[in-house]
Amino acid sequence: MSRIRKIVSPGFTISKRLLGLLMLLGGVGALLAILAIDLLDAGRQGGIGPAQQIALGAAALIALVGVTLLPLGEAPA
Amino acid sequence: MTELPLSRPLSASPVRSDALLYTASRILTIVALAILMGYGVVYIAYAANLIAFPFDYDQGEGFELVDTLLFSQGELPYKDTDVYPFYSSNYPPLFHVMAAPFVPVFGTGYWYGRLLGFLGTLVTAGAIALAVYREGRRPTIALLAALAFLASNTVYHIGPLFRQHMTMVMFETLAVVVLAHMDAIPSLRRRRWGLFAGLSLVLAAGYTKQLALTTALAVFAFLFIRSPRRAIISGVLFGLAGGAIFLWLNIATDGQWWLQTISANVNEFIPSQTWGLYRLWFALHGFLIVPALMYALYELYFSRLSIYTIWTIAGIGVGVLSGKWGAGDSYFATSIAGICLLSGIFFARLLNGDLAVPRNPIARFTIDPLRRAAPIVAAGSLLLVPLCYIGYGRAVLHLPTEGAGFAVIADLLGIEANARNGFYDSAGRIAGGYADIGHFTTQADIDAGWRIVERVRAAPGDVLSEEAAFNLLADKPVIGNPTQLLNLANNGLWDPTALVALIEARQFGLIVLRAQFYPPDVLQAIAAHYGQDEVIAMNGFNYLLLVPKSE
Repeated sequence: MSRIRKIVSPGFTISKRLLGLLMLLGGVGALLAILAIDLLDAGRQGGIGPAQQIALGAAALIALVGVTLLPLGEAPA
Repeated sequence: MTELPLSRPLSASPVRSDALLYTASRILTIVALAILMGYGVVYIAYAANLIAFPFDYDQGEGFELVDTLLFSQGELPYKDTDVYPFYSSNYPPLFHVMAAPFVPVFGTGYWYGRLLGFLGTLVTAGAIALAVYREGRRPTIALLAALAFLASNTVYHIGPLFRQHMTMVMFETLAVVVLAHMDAIPSLRRRRWGLFAGLSLVLAAGYTKQLALTTALAVFAFLFIRSPRRAIISGVLFGLAGGAIFLWLNIATDGQWWLQTISANVNEFIPSQTWGLYRLWFALHGFLIVPALMYALYELYFSRLSIYTIWTIAGIGVGVLSGKWGAGDSYFATSIAGICLLSGIFFARLLNGDLAVPRNPIARFTIDPLRRAAPIVAAGSLLLVPLCYIGYGRAVLHLPTEGAGFAVIADLLGIEANARNGFYDSAGRIAGGYADIGHFTTQADIDAGWRIVERVRAAPGDVLSEEAAFNLLADKPVIGNPTQLLNLANNGLWDPTALVALIEARQFGLIVLRAQFYPPDVLQAIAAHYGQDEVIAMNGFNYLLLVPKSE
């Protein structure tokens, strides 16, 4: 809770590490959500469709870029 | 943190080889400027040609004019398409509202909408030049970046059309340019006004075309990175303002706003179209895409992310949607503005030698081994920067091969027409969704258009025309908007009964088809009850004129 309060405090800016973490979590979350479409919607046919494949690729790329930002520490993003 | 320059200006070592290098750089820069200015001349000639053309040039322009006419009469164009005259718009209102004041003064015409689109591209180019100059203080690079935008085949194709896309790009570009340096404004009051102005421009872009949603996301991502608190507060206010307009439009149109602009826009996705258009985009703009992405990587790992970078990446990403049925190469226009802007900043800063790189884990493996090469990078950039613009100028080659001046240049370059009406275009249809436009219209096209208008005027009763111009110029009501009816039909949101009944009853004195974009039910009814009477070629397309079959 105090961390969230700190993030929304005046003057706070996102660091490279925090941005990387957000991208990693966002990318992994998006990956799972895209795959979940097929798991939850059992009636769908044809498996992972072309639009899903593009979205999966984009989500994976975001997560990967996020990982590369983690070592950059507190430098402002 | 220690920062070292990635490149250094050469002026510190005034030796003879430097003088030669600078001379070569100047000559190459002049060549690049001459090439891109040449495209500026072609663009102005094309715009003048289209502004004088009184009919649809690109499919669907006439319906933008119908929307404008409705707004000028105080009517909203989001109507129930199940009932006569089966017409509705699928675009947000702002562009048409901007064109509407011309109607009471000049009447029905395409020229003012095309002029607005054309002027919008000039404003965008100006904003790109301003942004590049502000970051790098190099007026020549700023000018080259602006001209590069106008030289893009995509911008050239759609800039002077009676369509809202480039006006959306104008608002998007102005928004990011206004917001880019907002934090540097010392006065809190002025900073807030800057934020208000920037977000108002984003809202304007969104109410010009739905695609600007990506720019809104990019803008708020930037604001969030810089100050989450400010992003959340301004995001809530922005959402309330945008939502209020949305709600009002939906209530005022009895839900048609949602149906026609949102629900009807969910179209089939064609992956091959997306990949084809990305390939085309890269083939034409690669000389600027690569530097722009290098600069984006520089900001990501060694500096702070600017709004320009986030916006450009978002613009490149939204190109995925170009694979939707009805979408096309125009969906890359935002990314083209972004790459022209970003590559311009990269070039200017590279030449200035002020791309500082901090010592960090990424630099240790990527930049540090290359630091000794900094003088070579500086020397190389003097030639590489103008060569990139020259290479870009070669990649986007497009010009008429006929007519005074142009024929001589085409002969000198050894090129022959590969598009309609004696036009050469290095872009071309390698995938669906590509707009086959860019050629100039001729007097024969205008004559052919008036012949169709005469046929429409002479026909008894209403005329069902796939393009609105003929009906408007013949003072007949415009019946339906074929692509919108098809969008609705594909989503199961349109009941064709009433229109099909009129066709079956042969109520239309004449039917004019071009691309046959009507829904299948309508096309089948037309085929059963109407027969081809005449084919008139105009602007490279065959217009089929159909009359009722005898009972």
